[in-house]
Amino acid sequence: MTLSRRDFLKLASLITASAALSSCAPLYRKMTGDLPTVPWTALSASDFLALNRITFGARVEERARFAEIGLQAYIEEQLNYESINDLTCDLQLSTFKTLNMQANELEGISNQLFDGYDREKVPNELRQATLLRQLYSKRQLYEVMVEFWSDHFNIFMDKEKEFFLKTVDDREVIRKHALGNFRDLVWASAHSPAMMIYLDNQANEKSHPNENYARELMELHTLGVDGGYSQKDVMELARCLTGWNVKEHFWLGDFVFKEDLHDTGEKNVLGLSIQPSGIKEAEQVIEMLVKHPSTAKFICTKLARRFIADNPPQALIEKAAQTFLSTNGDIKSVLRVILFEGLNPKGFQKPLGFAEPKYKRPVNFLLSALRMLNVETDGIALHDYLVRMGQLYFNWPTPDGYPDYSEAWQGNLMPRWQFAFALIRNELNDTKHNLQNLLDVSSTGILQDDVDSLTSLLLGNPLERFARNEIIDSVRAAGATEEETRQIIAASIIASPAFQWR
Amino acid sequence: MFTQTWLPRLSFAPVNTAPRGDTLVVVFLRGAADVLNMVVPHGEDAYYQLRPSLGIARPDDSKKKKEERTVDLDGFFGFHPNMSPLLEAWQSEQLAIIHACGAPDESRSHFKAMELMERGVASAINTPASGWIGRHLATLNTGNSSPLRAVGMGTRPQRSLSGSVPVSALRSIADFHLGGDQRILQQMRASLETVYANDALGQETLSIMDTLQKLDVQNYQSPTLAPGASAGVTNYPDSEFGLALKQTAMLIKAEVGLEVSAIDLGGWDTHFAQGSSAGIMPNLMKDLAEGLAAFHADMADHQNQLTTVTMSEFGRRASENGSLGTDHGHGSMMMVLGSNVDGGKVHGQWPGLAEGQLIGPGDLAVTTDYRDVLSEILTRRLNNSATNEIFPDYQPKMPNVVL
Repeated sequence: MTLSRRDFLKLASLITASAALSSCAPLYRKMTGDLPTVPWTALSASDFLALNRITFGARVEERARFAEIGLQAYIEEQLNYESINDLTCDLQLSTFKTLNMQANELEGISNQLFDGYDREKVPNELRQATLLRQLYSKRQLYEVMVEFWSDHFNIFMDKEKEFFLKTVDDREVIRKHALGNFRDLVWASAHSPAMMIYLDNQANEKSHPNENYARELMELHTLGVDGGYSQKDVMELARCLTGWNVKEHFWLGDFVFKEDLHDTGEKNVLGLSIQPSGIKEAEQVIEMLVKHPSTAKFICTKLARRFIADNPPQALIEKAAQTFLSTNGDIKSVLRVILFEGLNPKGFQKPLGFAEPKYKRPVNFLLSALRMLNVETDGIALHDYLVRMGQLYFNWPTPDGYPDYSEAWQGNLMPRWQFAFALIRNELNDTKHNLQNLLDVSSTGILQDDVDSLTSLLLGNPLERFARNEIIDSVRAAGATEEETRQIIAASIIASPAFQWR
Repeated sequence: MFTQTWLPRLSFAPVNTAPRGDTLVVVFLRGAADVLNMVVPHGEDAYYQLRPSLGIARPDDSKKKKEERTVDLDGFFGFHPNMSPLLEAWQSEQLAIIHACGAPDESRSHFKAMELMERGVASAINTPASGWIGRHLATLNTGNSSPLRAVGMGTRPQRSLSGSVPVSALRSIADFHLGGDQRILQQMRASLETVYANDALGQETLSIMDTLQKLDVQNYQSPTLAPGASAGVTNYPDSEFGLALKQTAMLIKAEVGLEVSAIDLGGWDTHFAQGSSAGIMPNLMKDLAEGLAAFHADMADHQNQLTTVTMSEFGRRASENGSLGTDHGHGSMMMVLGSNVDGGKVHGQWPGLAEGQLIGPGDLAVTTDYRDVLSEILTRRLNNSATNEIFPDYQPKMPNVVL
């Protein structure tokens, strides 16, 4: 493994954070108890698929809950995320003080002019927190949506001040509105200092506008590239957005509208004539964009692509888009349509449901293995694997976010294999799986049964007997002991083609 | 069971059979490179009017320091000073430039433009979803079944590579192995062979692992990159781009069957403070030019079977914006490197930068379609005449850039 100096510094400071974290482990363990280990429920293929779309990979107790209440009630329970107790996760995060800091305080840590300067502290804590939330939070659908919007309103953390301002964006834009209203989400993002700097709107001034944010606001955040705007609209919206800026003195890093940089002429965006009215001009355009039918279609297509299929059915998109328009962008209502219609095998016109297998993105691959095997980790050792697989958090340079279609991620198996074997052999620092505990409650201890149990846990169903015996024989033939065989097979299932899909 | 049946990969029989031609290295400059500051039209007054702050001074502008001036190429165009590591290839006529080159798409959207260009199509509708390189591999049977026939350097194979022939991404040769002692390795291997028995990509990965085991990246030393070598280039830049080129060189020299290497160099979306003679974009040019020059020197003995091409999704606005950067434009530029190119020459018709010559909001026009350049390379250097399948609904005109 080769590490650049920067990687090394990052890892070094992560290790410091880890020491702090492990010292408080007994606290959250005492308060929340051990991770549950229950026998797992057999699920139908469509239920297993649905549950793995709503979560980052189903834990055993989530399987049990799903089997108990069914798809529709499970979706409702997850949508109503505020009422899910999430103490275990919250306690894990309690050491990350930067998560709740204002831009001004974050700058204090991150500006090399100040004492105690630490360039990596803020981004590391955000990346750590993101992983631990995806792993431990019981509000799984909410976290899945946080990931979705983090891609949709992508901000690359390695550009300028984003390395600490993204923490504010993550809290005040993405997490605040992830299951709220789309209009509020766009509104918050347009007032997000991290977004203003990332897409150069702080450089957008009268007489010489900068088109970057104006274009992406229409192309990527609302209408979509074929949503019916022109180059002229981009230029006019850029003029409306002149003066949308970030404070550089006092309350550093907060949003500010700079009147003196604003172009006071008349504008016309998408046929709407806009009279000079300062900050209200772009606000007027945002209100128009979020209600536009192209936006409804674009957002619903992306949501359906995330949850249902790479090429989601038009009928589903249209139904969701109608809901989007009739509820003025209520995200929960839209998700209800997409999830229930798209994941329900009996739902929506087509008897077998619409969902098609999707190749797991690296984060999903990693998290599903960790969650299904009840892995306990501080998360630090895992970031390097995300780097090698190509999906380190907040590290996609361009504003379109990590790709969300299967083919984009196929063709880089090696780091997935490396991870699978390292995980099962407990070779990752401060990371330990609970395979034995899991097998103790769900299997007999006979190798064949253990393999059946494992495949049922990880793939939804036991292997056919022939395939099971074939893999056992092949590992034994290579000279493995019984215990080694169990481990190698567990790792191979995680490394297998089937586990790469969800 | 381990292999899901939903792995449909298009398969169609190659339309032609031919011995393999050159190895093709495709460098994609992501983010729309500002080519007017790379190959500078210093003979145009309009250039300096449009770029009062960002413009690169004329070669004979005595008011500027020499290292801030354009390096003249042909009396009209010149290199940005940070492109000068490529001068030697230019002077030895192994580097051709095609200016005002690009695609017809005028969306000025990075993502749409890149997608169309990598798919090699003019419209997203009713055209193949595979990539142009993918279709090249699929339509030409070279008798080469190497798992390393085509490689995408990085963590994900580029869209251009997608198609019926499985292609792997390769981030680091040094890192491409499983850990553990010999005994455990054998067990893992046996198990992976079983679960990937019917999966082409998995089989490919296993066989790449075997091949790469024999290569030693750490101690790779090129004889032609010795200190004091003619161009003064002594090694690859210490960057991801440098590593990608170096690994490509290693694979070619190891004769593992590499036909195409796709490499990305990102960061060219310079709306803000891009820098004229120094700064963000000049640093990218340095990485690009030093990398290509090192690769060119390293591959001196293989140049006869090697073609390297650079491209970008579109160019940038001819005039600088108010934040010392440039907004999205249209016409771009391609470079072709190798001993079989008509080099030392700027090809293509120059449309000019004066008023009335620019298109749209003030952008360089496109006078050579990028598909013309690629079609010529495919037919003349890679022995693939199926350009009508690789670039559907397009009739290429040969620009005579390669011989």
